[in-house]
Amino acid sequence: MNQQIRMIADLDRVIHEPGRLMIVALLFAVERADFLYLLHETSMNKGTLSSHIARLEEAGYVAVTKTYRGKVPQTLLCLTGAGRNAFEQYRRKLKQAL
Amino acid sequence: MDDIGNLLNRPRLYYNIDGLVELGGSVMCLGFALFLWLRMHSSADSVWHRASVFGFAGLIFLVPYGVKAVKTRITYPRTGFVEYRKRWHTPAIGGVTGALVTAGVWIALRRRWDISMLGSLTGLAFAASYAYHFASAVRWKWVIVGAIAAASFVIAFLPADVLGALGSHLPVAHPDKLGGAILLSLMVYGTMLLVSGGISLWLYLRNTQAPAQEGQ
Repeated sequence: MNQQIRMIADLDRVIHEPGRLMIVALLFAVERADFLYLLHETSMNKGTLSSHIARLEEAGYVAVTKTYRGKVPQTLLCLTGAGRNAFEQYRRKLKQAL
Repeated sequence: MDDIGNLLNRPRLYYNIDGLVELGGSVMCLGFALFLWLRMHSSADSVWHRASVFGFAGLIFLVPYGVKAVKTRITYPRTGFVEYRKRWHTPAIGGVTGALVTAGVWIALRRRWDISMLGSLTGLAFAASYAYHFASAVRWKWVIVGAIAAASFVIAFLPADVLGALGSHLPVAHPDKLGGAILLSLMVYGTMLLVSGGISLWLYLRNTQAPAQEGQ
């Protein structure tokens, strides 16, 4: 039991937060997606989503590219190699802990 | 853990959220039916007969671009853009399956076997594929799965003279039945995809906001 609790304590805190977990899980399944897609799928507001993305970018888990779709600015996001590894490890640890 | 599994599955469900993939499939099926009909009912040296080959090729190349172009105008500005991961095994499985089916049909035609049931078997495979790709995301589309499967059985057991009225001039054993079954299958599946995709697109447009002019 103690080991299980220790495993839960070992979980990656950056990913473990529910909002960021949603973002990472959605990005894990795709090559890349834009801000609008994540906004639509997570039902967060723009500010909350931006702050979570900034935190993930800071951790090196998400790469953000600013571009244009026609004349409209577009923010593209993709999971980095480190992000993919961290998410896979997180899932493995969570499975073991449960 | 189930919640994470659901999240990982969401981009797959997003693929046809607007029904445009089904509409693309519908254009492909109905277009194939048209060009097949032209090929069967025109003489070998006519322009229509030759043009049908370009028609098949044109549909295969143009429909995916058309779907992407419409998605760029309608879907991406409303609910966002997704680029899917390119997996090596998807085209590999498709290529191997296509090669095996083509080889099987070629052998059957050479040996003059009766393959008039092929259209129905393809229909059942199509129903299974539709269930996995589309009906698993939207519950009401199971009605379409049932309709496709039922249509496959009905076409399989239609009298030869009914099918023969549609598909003649195919240089194979039991030509009327085979040609008619293929033509009728394409028309029925194309119409079903058209209806299902049309309803999905209508619901999507109704439930999503028109894109704002400001940036994200």
